[in-house]
Amino acid sequence: MGIDIKKLKEKRRLKERAKVKAKRTGSRSGAKKIPEDDQDEEEDDEEDDDGDVEGGALVSQEDEDDDDESADEEDAPAIDLAALDESSDDSSVDFEEKIERPKKLKQQPKSKDTAPAPTASKKPAEDEDEDEEEEGEEDDEIDWADLPEEEREDLVPRTRININNTTGLLASLKRFAIPTDGSTTFASHQSLASKEPTADVIGEDLMDDIKRELAFYAQALDAAKRGRALLKAEGVPFSRPTDYFAEMVKDDGHMEKVKAKLIEEASAKKASAEARKLRDLKKFGKQVQVAKLQERQKAKRETLEKIKTLKRKRSETGGGDLGTHEADLFDVGVENELKSYNKKDSSQRGRPGIKRQKKNEKFGFGGKKKHSKSGDAESSGDLSGFSVKRMKGGAAKGKTPKTARLGKSRRKAGAAKR
Amino acid sequence: MVYKALSKSAAKDDAADDSSSVKPRNKQRVLMLTSRGVTYRHRHLLKDFASMMPHGRVDAKYDQKKKLGELNELALSKAPNGPTCKFLVSNIHTMEELAFSGNCLKGSRPILSFDKSFDTEPHLQVIKQLFLQIMGVPPLQKRSKPFIDHVLSFSVADGRIFLRVYQVQETEPTKKDGAEGEEASEESKKKKSKHADKAKEFDISLLEIGPRCVLQPIIIQEGSFGGALLYENKHFVSPNQVRADLRRKGAAKSNSRAEQNINRQSKMGGLGLRTDGDQKPVDQLDSRELFA
Repeated sequence: MGIDIKKLKEKRRLKERAKVKAKRTGSRSGAKKIPEDDQDEEEDDEEDDDGDVEGGALVSQEDEDDDDESADEEDAPAIDLAALDESSDDSSVDFEEKIERPKKLKQQPKSKDTAPAPTASKKPAEDEDEDEEEEGEEDDEIDWADLPEEEREDLVPRTRININNTTGLLASLKRFAIPTDGSTTFASHQSLASKEPTADVIGEDLMDDIKRELAFYAQALDAAKRGRALLKAEGVPFSRPTDYFAEMVKDDGHMEKVKAKLIEEASAKKASAEARKLRDLKKFGKQVQVAKLQERQKAKRETLEKIKTLKRKRSETGGGDLGTHEADLFDVGVENELKSYNKKDSSQRGRPGIKRQKKNEKFGFGGKKKHSKSGDAESSGDLSGFSVKRMKGGAAKGKTPKTARLGKSRRKAGAAKR
Repeated sequence: MVYKALSKSAAKDDAADDSSSVKPRNKQRVLMLTSRGVTYRHRHLLKDFASMMPHGRVDAKYDQKKKLGELNELALSKAPNGPTCKFLVSNIHTMEELAFSGNCLKGSRPILSFDKSFDTEPHLQVIKQLFLQIMGVPPLQKRSKPFIDHVLSFSVADGRIFLRVYQVQETEPTKKDGAEGEEASEESKKKKSKHADKAKEFDISLLEIGPRCVLQPIIIQEGSFGGALLYENKHFVSPNQVRADLRRKGAAKSNSRAEQNINRQSKMGGLGLRTDGDQKPVDQLDSRELFA
């Protein structure tokens, strides 16, 4: 809570001072401006120095507040005049609002949270710009009136005072800074500033990752090189001997993980490259196959065409001049050729495929079993087992056949023996 | 975020009191702690920093339940009466998730590499000093290692401070100018060991270690976690504000839609196109009236 109050107070103080300044300079001659400001700055410095002591800053602030208030009261009548003077060259709106302001000041000089009238205070703000910068106080609320439409819209909800108390910053810096210049050894601080701002190296596009990181890398590399040289010059050990082992920031487990990740990345890259290669090859192989098929078809078509044309030629000439024999021969040749083509095709069409054949062989399917013993046209037409000689002559010559049947008694005896 | 560093410069102050001739020494210790409600990322980032700061001490969480809005902020502060700077931390990448191959000794002193623009503006100068004293390891620190093998790099771009950590890797140079290298080694007589002589020839390359983060300054206060405002960043827009704006925009859109809808309904009602709207008086020439 203490912080907040202080913050508020500080803000208020700054605002107040800015306003008072504006009025003072408006009412008084320009010649007086500069010395006054200087004086104020000096006061600031002293206060900041005192600020080391706890609470000292607070007291001084209060003092200042009082001063400002009294100044306000004194200046109040003068403000009216100044405003009137200036408003002569401004619009009527400005005029009205400026008249209102001193009232507020009189009633409650401390609460400055009321929204500033931007158009009204625009003119004096421009006049006072230099002074404010010297003090390091810029009233953002006033400036926004000059901004283009879109930007103004953006800024309206979040306008805030831009505090940049340069003198205070420098004083505080002086208080706690460690010297990094030539007065101490480099080893005592080990800090280096780059030769040129990194933002310039990066260029305009901050989102360009590679460029940005490269700029950072370059900055760090430069620092490392110069730092090594400086440390060597001071006789400070720089590089770690190879036999010096100590705990590292990343332990072995972590490094193992990193390694695994790197390996994984590399292998993934390799695998993807290989897969792509295969894919390309496959695509190419298919192309080759298609080309081959097409070529074969083409060759077939060509031969057929050739034959056809030849045939047509033959028929047109009618075999008049040439010998008929020769023509016949040629025709036969053509027929044969055609037949061979057709035969090949038809024979291949009738038979089952190679796979079916193999399976038939393996699993024993040799055709239908039903009606396999019944006679058909082929079997009845088959006369290979028939001979006229045997049918006629054989019976006439020898009465006894070779395997004559035995008598009944002998047959019976044979059966009993068995 | 979350992580607040105090550096206790009591020793330094004492030295200054004893005799004015003694210059302030770089000797401080850092207390690091997080506020409540931080995410694992913030915790890991803090851990990463802690591992690199042998002069630091990690303390328990700062138990303050009310100000959860202050998450995502980093405060660097000098104790007892140094300035404080608050940053908004974004783009956090911890060492763990970055998986960089760099590594360095735990507690070795870093070389701090600052952007040149740190010397241009007063608030940046203050920030630089804060980094220098808090992130840098003071010399002869008890737990620090005697060799230097990493670089902390601070760069300013677009009003933000980019933080990077690199390992310094010394590699054998390619054989291009061996003679020159020999000369150089002869010149460097300060070095005692053979190893140091060799090191002179080594090329330096950097390997990133991590973590990475981007800091945007918000305010600088005069005291330690308090005091007068010395600097406030005009361009800083708090993430809460951004979020609120987004929501408001969405709300405005949906409101206008709802309004449109209501307008349309009432219009249709007025034209007699809705059952529950007011009906038009029936015209005498209406076909329903004529042929009834």
